[in-house]
Amino acid sequence: MAPSADIAIEPIAPIEPPAPLAPLHALPPPFTDSNLEVLTQGAEALVYKTTFLTPATPCVVKYRPPKPYRHPTLDKRLTKTRLLAEARVLVRCRKEGVGVPGVLAGDWDNGWLVLEWIEGMTVRKVLDEWADKVKRGDKKEGDDEMLGVMRKVGRAVGRLHDIGVCHGDLTTSNLMLRQPSSSTEHASPLFQHRGHQTVSAMREAAMDGADGSEPSPPQPQSELDGDIILIDFGLVSQTIQDEDRAVDLYVLERAFSATHPAAEPLFQKILTSYGESFKGAKTVLRRLEDVRLRGRKRSMLG
Amino acid sequence: MASVRTFHLPHYPAYPVQVALFKDVANAAFLRSQLLEANPDFDYAFLDATMILTPNHLLSATFLALHASQTSRTKTRTAHSELVFRLHPNNNIGESYRKFGISDTTTHLIAVKFSLTPNITNESVSKHLGEFVKGESVAIGEEGEELGIWCDVGKVRKVYKLGEEKKTKKGAVVNGNVEMDARKEIESVVLGMITLKGS
Amino acid sequence: MIALGLEGSANKIGIGLISHPSSNKPPIVLSNLRHTYVSPPGEGFLPKDTAIHHRAWVVRLIKQAVRQAGVKIEDIDCICYTKGPGMGAPLQSVAVAARTLSLLWGKPLVGVNHCVGHIEMGRAITNASNPVVLYVSGGNTQVIAYSAQRYRIFGETLDIAIGNCIDRFARTLMIPNDPFPGYNVEQLAKKGKNLVDIPYAVKGMDCSFSGILAAADILAHSTNEALPDGKRLKTEDGEIVTREDLCFSLQETVFAMLVEITERAMAHVGSKQVLVVGGVGSNERLQQMMGMMARDRGGTVFATDERFCIDNGIMIAHAGLLEYKTGITTSLEDSTCTQRFRTDEVFVGWRD
Repeated sequence: MAPSADIAIEPIAPIEPPAPLAPLHALPPPFTDSNLEVLTQGAEALVYKTTFLTPATPCVVKYRPPKPYRHPTLDKRLTKTRLLAEARVLVRCRKEGVGVPGVLAGDWDNGWLVLEWIEGMTVRKVLDEWADKVKRGDKKEGDDEMLGVMRKVGRAVGRLHDIGVCHGDLTTSNLMLRQPSSSTEHASPLFQHRGHQTVSAMREAAMDGADGSEPSPPQPQSELDGDIILIDFGLVSQTIQDEDRAVDLYVLERAFSATHPAAEPLFQKILTSYGESFKGAKTVLRRLEDVRLRGRKRSMLG
Repeated sequence: MASVRTFHLPHYPAYPVQVALFKDVANAAFLRSQLLEANPDFDYAFLDATMILTPNHLLSATFLALHASQTSRTKTRTAHSELVFRLHPNNNIGESYRKFGISDTTTHLIAVKFSLTPNITNESVSKHLGEFVKGESVAIGEEGEELGIWCDVGKVRKVYKLGEEKKTKKGAVVNGNVEMDARKEIESVVLGMITLKGS
Repeated sequence: MIALGLEGSANKIGIGLISHPSSNKPPIVLSNLRHTYVSPPGEGFLPKDTAIHHRAWVVRLIKQAVRQAGVKIEDIDCICYTKGPGMGAPLQSVAVAARTLSLLWGKPLVGVNHCVGHIEMGRAITNASNPVVLYVSGGNTQVIAYSAQRYRIFGETLDIAIGNCIDRFARTLMIPNDPFPGYNVEQLAKKGKNLVDIPYAVKGMDCSFSGILAAADILAHSTNEALPDGKRLKTEDGEIVTREDLCFSLQETVFAMLVEITERAMAHVGSKQVLVVGGVGSNERLQQMMGMMARDRGGTVFATDERFCIDNGIMIAHAGLLEYKTGITTSLEDSTCTQRFRTDEVFVGWRD
């Protein structure tokens, strides 16, 4: 038997990439008017900003379009299951006081969900801007404000796990730092009063006051003072398994090291704060070590 | 003539929603009997105003009812009955009417009418309700601020099984807006629950 | 500069010679030979037998490759071999050959990470500048993107590799291993039409295949043609589920998972290019699905044909030469091989 030989002397001719086609942006009814602003074309869903119920209420429409690459039966099954799971968990989180956007409406068969608008920016962007500042010498690496954000992230993830929910896709793009309450405006005029403060801000104040160890500095207010809001629960699961919780943290850790290599030490702060956030968090951290090790064993075979 | 506010829900501009608010209603029993007889002239959603938490509470159920009727997936006969049904967290239609619909003793009333056909306008609804509802018409502001002023929050919490209101923590009372924020929190959960119902 | 590459991390032994003319000209493949150890149906390849196969073929292949390339020994700059990851015994058999050549000819050695070899070869052939890489083979399932001198792993399998899952499924159905099990599963899948429910296991950018394999194996037993009709697995419409349907369902499910995690990684790093490498990357259905996903995102998918997708010596020679040009060689004492060698352990000194 002769070895499968290829032609000798063969320059590598690069393959011409096919011309990219325009992506599809068509929502199902009733979301067909021009009052839509594309926010992201995520892997899972198309996310738009629009208004809902009143022309003054901003909201997010999340549409899971049919994936042409997926078998239609599988696609329908996945879309419905995931959308419903997402909505159920969000409502549960709101009931339990975990920082997530509220559910305003949804249609599982047609693949859309309307969610509360969160004013703020992603932790990913916060980290990017911080990295720029460090590079320019405006900030130093162990910056207290930044550590404060990390502490809040750890606490938010801990709260989520505490109520038996694992996010499933915990990346820095799925963590929002809400714009501090003094500058947010509620859309409904019913709630537009002077000197108004959100419940979440009060909760934060109450919590800080309760443990007394970390009094929040009263002034001046920084843009990093807002609450952490967890978004995109597209791959969420309801579970209290240490394994699932640890994998959540592992995914976040890898998102950190993959996109913010310089910010890896900050992740330690998240873990510390997570460890103090609920009973059982310490066991999860121990499990995380196992998950890391196993992750490294995975490349055993070629 | 009764005062009627026309709402144009974003994404459903073709179907305006006519909403009227009344207090000191004296003939609730008559209005309810018309519903029971399925008198086509009284195809409204007559709601107990003490069960409506906020304008968004009403509008969200309105949107869902309209969407169900437009995508032919209503669980009830009309878009109006669908609205009453949609407000309740469970799938029991009778229970929805008992909790959110008009009863013989209702004094604070919200009447909702979808303009599904061109002959139903602000004027037509205003004229018809003005003629048949014996009560004081209350004007509704542009943003529907008045919807929710008579809300019995305790009753709403009970229907949606939200449990007792938590004691306000010391130091959290700021500028007397605690109640509004608490309501905003309830609203957020309630909107989620009515969206999820039945699935 | 010219490099000789030796690859033998799994059941294929590949020898290739590559030339990098100058920095702004594309590399030239001088020769690319491969021989595959094929095990009987229902069996996988065992390390011991595979190593014997590699030892038996290595000298013959090197002689033929050098002759075909038309180069003199003096023209060769370095000997590149697969350091890992892979199966121990086959890796060792090829590493011994590389060391012998190094001493015999007095040439420096360069130990190459197998995964990096796939990535660099894929980039060279397709001209994809900075793609998200899906590396799918019998031993690996990784979604990789380049960042700060490393190929970072964004997502990977939490248990067994995709190729392993398909191969073992093929074994259960007694599908032949020649030319390779995945190819035969692909041909059967083309005739399948009923989608059977198989677990779908994606966690963030990771996925898991062991549960799927277990479920598919159970289903496979209930499609055994020897069973009476009453006991055969049926669809909701009462149709009998065939082997072809199972292959089809398995492919549709596991490939959907791969495309999904790739898409998520693309969204995360903001890339519009995908490069598929590794043996499973030669599957046309996977390429088609990936293409549909990329098109939807306004991006492009790059895939290589089986000469470069499936393990080969050229990719080792190419990646090794890139590293050699940055001044790095592997001393004889360090010229070991290792079963565990993560993609992100390699310092990528040749990229910006």
